[in-house]
Amino acid sequence: MSDKVFSFKNIHVVVEGKEVVKGVSLEIGQGEKHAIMGPNGSGKSSLVNALAGHPSYAITEGEAYISGKNLIEMDATERAKAGLFLAFQYPLAIPGVTVANFLRAAIKAKHGGDETVLKDFRKELTDKFSFLEVDKTFATRYINDGFSGGEKKKIEILQMAMLKPLVALLDETDSGLDIDALRIVSNGINEYAPSDGGLLLVTHYQRMLNYVKPDYVHVMMHGQLVRSGGPELALQLEEQGYEKIEDEVFNSVEV
Amino acid sequence: MNLTAIENKVASFRTIDKLEPEWLYNLRKESWEFYNDAPLPERVTNVWRYTKPENFLVANAEEIMNTAPLIPDGSNGHPYPKNSEYSAVGYNREDMMTMVKIDPAVAGQGVIIKNLFQAARENEDLVRQYFGTMVAPNFGKFEALNMALWNNGFFIFVPDNTVIEKPIALNRHPGDNFSHIRLLAVIGRNSQVTLVDNYSCSGRAESGVDNSAVEIFGGDSARVKYVNLQRLGPQCIGYITQRARIGRSGNIYSIYGATGGAVSKMNAGTILAGRHAESRMSGVIFGDKNQHFDYHTLHHHQDNESYSNIDFKVILKDKAMSAYTGLIRIEKDTINNEAYQENRNLLLNKGTKAESIPELEILTDQVRCTHGATMGPIDPQMLFYLKARGIGHEEAVKMIAAGFVEPTIMQMPNELREMMRGIVTDKLAGEQK
Repeated sequence: MSDKVFSFKNIHVVVEGKEVVKGVSLEIGQGEKHAIMGPNGSGKSSLVNALAGHPSYAITEGEAYISGKNLIEMDATERAKAGLFLAFQYPLAIPGVTVANFLRAAIKAKHGGDETVLKDFRKELTDKFSFLEVDKTFATRYINDGFSGGEKKKIEILQMAMLKPLVALLDETDSGLDIDALRIVSNGINEYAPSDGGLLLVTHYQRMLNYVKPDYVHVMMHGQLVRSGGPELALQLEEQGYEKIEDEVFNSVEV
Repeated sequence: MNLTAIENKVASFRTIDKLEPEWLYNLRKESWEFYNDAPLPERVTNVWRYTKPENFLVANAEEIMNTAPLIPDGSNGHPYPKNSEYSAVGYNREDMMTMVKIDPAVAGQGVIIKNLFQAARENEDLVRQYFGTMVAPNFGKFEALNMALWNNGFFIFVPDNTVIEKPIALNRHPGDNFSHIRLLAVIGRNSQVTLVDNYSCSGRAESGVDNSAVEIFGGDSARVKYVNLQRLGPQCIGYITQRARIGRSGNIYSIYGATGGAVSKMNAGTILAGRHAESRMSGVIFGDKNQHFDYHTLHHHQDNESYSNIDFKVILKDKAMSAYTGLIRIEKDTINNEAYQENRNLLLNKGTKAESIPELEILTDQVRCTHGATMGPIDPQMLFYLKARGIGHEEAVKMIAAGFVEPTIMQMPNELREMMRGIVTDKLAGEQK
């Protein structure tokens, strides 16, 4: 077990009988920002979904710890209560459940049902809506129901901002965003990402990393982390594409 | 009860009551004969496939028919409360019969809300023109039974060009025996009204068979909202036949909420009789324990360029059962009608049973029509979304299930929403049986 805020070791993930993550390890220290980049189908989304406890993504091997607590033994609810947060790539609509009521329930659940934590809820929500340039009427709309791609991603970041997790996993939060929304969402991440915890960004493109500067960049391919480095690795990928690394690592191009 | 004995007992109809118009007496007598002559409905059509007709037979018809219809004092001596959420409130109760309280300002607009039996004498021409023309004696065996025996009911008349802002609430409290009640509503051209037709048992009535017939006539360009709530006691049996007819550019939104009763059967329909008519229906059924629901809807497009839409939602828990059958009929030689139907069933545990049968009778080519049905447990993806925010499994199930029906509850008048949410919450909280 590592003393890092978040760590996992030799994680294997199976989806529908197929192994899509094949032994991935990472350690995230306090205040660190990490990015995992990789082509489509590399297993990066599967990794973060499995870590968050998605029932369709089974961790068949490996260890994971958040603040020293064993994640593997927890269900999704307990992982969230332990401080883990997943911003979804495709946030689901939950008809009939308003954004405000959903957040109230989540904040209350996190504090063991204590209602007093909701004292300043309204004001905090209004402030954060304003920062993320979301109309405050969204508070009474049903979660993601009829929201645009950009609105959904803003609401994911809003949830992170309101729930104040220890570790945030952001799954392709930049996908489907236009230039303006990308800027606003990135500002939101910079403002609200756990400052004394950890951040793990999963992305296909480098463009978000112009706004949210990672301390470490990792490249994932075929279910494995094949390269790790500093921010310069992202720029290198942007120039050369994933193929060059793939050639180097796997020594042959799969046809 | 011995059903064979009931079937074989054909009593002759009572003599005319001194307050009763002759045409009404004759209609009742004719209905009684129809009821006695009609065989039990055969269980081959979708309307009768899922529920035994024997449920709705009466054991004491003679006693009921000899209970003379009463006309009570309409005001009960109390002025109408100023801050009421309703423009009028009517009560059907076994002991106090029919009572109506109406906001004097609304009454001043020429709106009539009164005991139907009283209206049959006092507003004879109007009542006679519409009464029993949609839910007629020959509609079916139990509709004929209702026509023969009803002694409780309301007549509502809204003149042309009259907007009634606050809903009219009709509280039906059937007794613990057999109740036969009616509603006749005639809404004038270009008028607007919301009717809340609320069936619940009065405290002591835990059982009983409640047979209701509802007829709503909407004039051209009228806008009607009709909310039918069935919250009968756990031993009650409900049988409701409801028809609305809307004219040219008329608009009706019908909301059906059903959470009560042991056996609950409803046949609800709108006839779109004019061009550009629009009818929407929403349904919320929540069954638990051994409850049985059998809801049938009809959208009958008779003219051109009309629009209908049905969104019918069902939650089932424990060993509850629901059958939803929805008929869309579009007449021949009509053009550009649109009809949509969706029925979604949320099954909270194994052991529940849902049926969903769309029936389309489309006799023309120029039409747009879709239907869809889903049934299954809560989407595990949705559950994960809530759990990933720290919400526990049980709580997440409750939030998603309550959310499933919330958009429909939001369409109900303000003062019904908390009540409906409370019923949903209670049912969700109940231990699985």
